[in-house]
Amino acid sequence: RAWVSIPNPNGLPLIATATSDKTVRVYSLRNFTLHSMLEGGHSRSVRSVAWQPAVKNTGTLCLATGSFDATMGIWRRREERFADNEDSDNDDDWEFAIVLEGHDSEVKNVAYSPSGQWLASCSRDKSIWIWEEIGDEGDDEFETVAVLQEHTADVKCVSWRKDDGNGEILASGSYDDTIRFFKGDDEGEWSCISTLEGHAGTVWSLDWEPEVSQKQIPRLLSSSADCTIRVWSKTWECTATLPTAHDLPIYSVSWGKKTGRVVSTGGDGKIVIYEERTKGRTSVGGAIEREWVIVGVLAGGHGPYEINHVTWCTRFDSGKTADGEEMIVTTGDDGVVRAWAL
Amino acid sequence: MALDNENPLILSASELPTRKQRRKNKELSSKQHAVKDMLSSKLCSADPFDLSDSSDTDSNDSVEPIDEMEIYDLIAPISDPEHPLSLESLGVVKLQDVHLVSPNDLTNPAALSRVLVELTPTVSHCSLATVIGLGVRVRLEQALPPSYRVEVKIKKDTHSQADEVNKQLSDKERVAAALENENLMSILRTMMKTCTE
Repeated sequence: RAWVSIPNPNGLPLIATATSDKTVRVYSLRNFTLHSMLEGGHSRSVRSVAWQPAVKNTGTLCLATGSFDATMGIWRRREERFADNEDSDNDDDWEFAIVLEGHDSEVKNVAYSPSGQWLASCSRDKSIWIWEEIGDEGDDEFETVAVLQEHTADVKCVSWRKDDGNGEILASGSYDDTIRFFKGDDEGEWSCISTLEGHAGTVWSLDWEPEVSQKQIPRLLSSSADCTIRVWSKTWECTATLPTAHDLPIYSVSWGKKTGRVVSTGGDGKIVIYEERTKGRTSVGGAIEREWVIVGVLAGGHGPYEINHVTWCTRFDSGKTADGEEMIVTTGDDGVVRAWAL
Repeated sequence: MALDNENPLILSASELPTRKQRRKNKELSSKQHAVKDMLSSKLCSADPFDLSDSSDTDSNDSVEPIDEMEIYDLIAPISDPEHPLSLESLGVVKLQDVHLVSPNDLTNPAALSRVLVELTPTVSHCSLATVIGLGVRVRLEQALPPSYRVEVKIKKDTHSQADEVNKQLSDKERVAAALENENLMSILRTMMKTCTE
């Protein structure tokens, strides 16, 4: 089965898929062919993969992987002029640079912070580790900055929020049905700053609102085994629950950057798209009411198989009609990754 | 290590459900063969849930829909991890606790069937309830077509930690990781031996 597919966040037309055959496959989004493979680094399924945000133009691609073998891998690949390279035979393969050990059981999710400074990992051992790369570029030295053990059960997912001037915040979703926020202070001490309760089942997936105006704080989206998707905002309460469409656990949600739409998928194999609309004012001079509506449901996107992951993804293929146009990419138990256009 | 339940209640053959005509189910035996191969071979690169070898029997499914009795037949012979007895004879699985909800439209390839199996542990604090539940779930997921969603639960009021066990059994990630654990897999293989004999 294939677990997740993560598009490159640095504008490159690549997507990386983590699978149960212990490898990660990187595909080209221009022509949907296999670009390269990461293999030999893990002894069990690769559950999660994350691209390192490009801070400097070093011509190196870097991926972090999280596996059921309780370790994480950092992989690098030299890529000089990617744009001209359709034939990958001459390129160097992915080098398995470092293995990060520390978790006691399966690593469920890994994520780089938007600035690239930190790498977060979470596991069935109930903890979240924050790692920082120290030393010079290519030294391959990582330091554990924090081990956060506030959750009372497996931590399923982690998601970073962009720095709004107060630092980058890490959100985590857990088997204990809660969501927690963590932040590091000026001295580098990390602590749990908030606990969000409300879900009646494991929180499988989180995503932050991608585009907000300067003054606003991005809202958080969560999906759960309780078959609901919730929006959290303000003082961190659940301010909205999306209309019910799934009748089995919702494994993944994604908030689209270009359209603001939300897409979800899960055990029932359905792909559902939601949109936020203005309802109007409830009273004269009152606040504008907004509501979420379902704009589309596709059942059986992967046949009878469960869909483990869904994400909005910029299009680079020849079928795109506009720059920055987004499509939906789903990853299923059939081991297949599919791209959908609306 | 002392056994959890040294004196289990064993049902006699006359108390067990039978079918008037045990019809020769072709697809069932071919699936059992596939299950035996999967459990006995070294799973280095094969995904435990890969049913690609039995995909050619899919066309049979729409002709002969599976019923509760067949599902029961798949799990009844599973051995208890502690005793050399089947779950059926220990009363852990019962035909009346196997529930199947089929979709109205069987021609729709996306239509899902829901299977719910309720297990009755031999004692209310049985520590092996999770292993037994996992064995039942794995057996059904490997033997049934991918359009079947399997739910295995401990029957209400029969176990002190039913909720905890049920949550674990319904977590696909935990189940997937457990199946990559060689110790656990060898226990499950032993439990399943009686299914394919």
